[in-house]
Amino acid sequence: MFYRLSGVHHANYVSDSRIFKVPADRNLTAFIFLIGLAAPFIMPSLYLNSYMLPWLIWTAAALGLNLVTGWAGQLHLGYAAVMAVGAYSAIHAARFGVPWEFALIIGGLASSVIGSLFAFAALRVKGLYLALTTLAMQFVMDWVLTHSPAISGGSHASLQSPTLALLGQDITSDTGYYYVAFGWCVLVTIFMLNLKRTGLGRALVAVREKDFAAAILGVNSFYYKILAFATSSFIAGVSGALLVATFFFLAAPEQFSVNVSIQVLAMVIVGGLGSIIGSYFGVALILLVPGLVNGIVAGGSEALGMQINVETLAHIPNAVYGALIVIVLLIEPLGLGKLYGNIRDYLMVWPFDQLRK
Amino acid sequence: MTTNRKTETGDGDGAILECRGIERRFGGIVAVTGVDLVIQPQEIFGLVGPNGSGKTTLTNAITGFYPPNEGTVRLAGRDITGTAPHKVAKLGVARTFQNLALFNGMSVLDNILLGRHIHMNPGVIRTALYWWAAQREEIENRKIVEEVIEFLQLESIRHELVDGLPIGLKKRVELARALVAEPEMLILDEPMAGMNQEEKGYMSRFILDARAERGVSVLLIEHHMDVIIGICDRMLALNYGEMIASGIPREVVKDPRVIEAYVGGSHG
Repeated sequence: MFYRLSGVHHANYVSDSRIFKVPADRNLTAFIFLIGLAAPFIMPSLYLNSYMLPWLIWTAAALGLNLVTGWAGQLHLGYAAVMAVGAYSAIHAARFGVPWEFALIIGGLASSVIGSLFAFAALRVKGLYLALTTLAMQFVMDWVLTHSPAISGGSHASLQSPTLALLGQDITSDTGYYYVAFGWCVLVTIFMLNLKRTGLGRALVAVREKDFAAAILGVNSFYYKILAFATSSFIAGVSGALLVATFFFLAAPEQFSVNVSIQVLAMVIVGGLGSIIGSYFGVALILLVPGLVNGIVAGGSEALGMQINVETLAHIPNAVYGALIVIVLLIEPLGLGKLYGNIRDYLMVWPFDQLRK
Repeated sequence: MTTNRKTETGDGDGAILECRGIERRFGGIVAVTGVDLVIQPQEIFGLVGPNGSGKTTLTNAITGFYPPNEGTVRLAGRDITGTAPHKVAKLGVARTFQNLALFNGMSVLDNILLGRHIHMNPGVIRTALYWWAAQREEIENRKIVEEVIEFLQLESIRHELVDGLPIGLKKRVELARALVAEPEMLILDEPMAGMNQEEKGYMSRFILDARAERGVSVLLIEHHMDVIIGICDRMLALNYGEMIASGIPREVVKDPRVIEAYVGGSHG
């Protein structure tokens, strides 16, 4: 219907290797990009700051985890720890007087180094054992953060982030914060889209699917696993740093604790392993739905004049969102991204869908 | 010991692949022992033997998955004994697998493009700066891949996922993936298993054409004796990990030991 393949002809390999081959995909993406650009002008700043901004930064972070779990197939339960390394390194660097541009890169690189240590575990163990190893590393990182005042910032274990400044501009307004998050998310998304059509992405999938077959094609699986961990950790580090610099303003160890790791993994799995648009959906579901349900339940009960006590009110959203995750994964184990893909594929041939089946 | 031991072994001068005294043990089990094998450039060399006779173990010893416990493997005169598989691939050995090793979730095109991996130089920065740093390389390799796609007549399924293809096509995609690497030595592990007579004919023709047009040498593992006799220049028969006969296919298949290994004793 909206998506049409008819009339699309590729006359050369450049056009055949475009990111969006269907015109509708391209137009839709451009439209969403423009909405993203215009968001500060069409959205109240409360929504912009408490929903859009964390959504974009967590999406960037989830895409990073998707790289290592969805593409390279390595289960990672210590992702928040890697984000913490980036956040603390960047903020310490910025407090030390390093310009923010470099502080963010320092944060990313520090994360890469620590994240690559996780990779050395991945070279030895697979599957559940790797999950446990990364989980153990998460606990080690938690312990280090809470027990070293030099890193976590004194007895209160909180570290004030200095004012964000990029390209010589102090960024203090909500709009400014939003554009920083938006820019970072777009950059990560473009990288992931390119990953789908380069030798790097193919090599990672090869390592995930059959490492012995990858080896006989000349793919060194050790090297590519480390590369996947290092790249995803870089994305994690910068995302973690931006999260503190534009959203929390104060770094604290519990922002990067083990349940955050599990939450990011849930975002990736609910969104769909190896799906880029899925990561956007997954983060939206995990991050935004609880608040949304909360609002609906509170508003609804008030409108109906029902008396719901505070404790129940706090638990209903959690139950609903837990149920939503289960329902999504029951309907489509490959997540929301695949669900969207199914609808798109159906519309692509509508009303001649019988030709497909 | 063998029908034509002299012609088979010869000397290794100018040989593309030369194995001497290969032995591979798994614990107390001797899977392959004392195997000598010399393949000349542009030769199609058959390797036969009943199930469990050590054919696949021998290829795994050559490609580095299970390095031989004893003996040497030389590729074009260069000692590659015990080299890691991904390095062996870079030196010009490609192989297909008995139980298909395509990458599910990827299109036929992407699977074949992976065969070009050793000729490409992928990296993180190059991926990030695709338009400036990777596009040219991708397109150039795509052209080479398209030549092989045309050669193996895979044009119509190029963009399809490999998951759902029939086995005959899967085997052909795997052959394409091995060929685009432009190997000097091509090892085909039962490329015609489970194929009907017509598909076998196609596959044999592709192998002969690959040699004629691309000059590869082929080590062909097969159970179909008609194919071995039809397209192989020389062959080697294994049983219980040992060489029992080698030489010209027509003569080897008449060897009583080969017949005994395949159809059982008291037949001659």
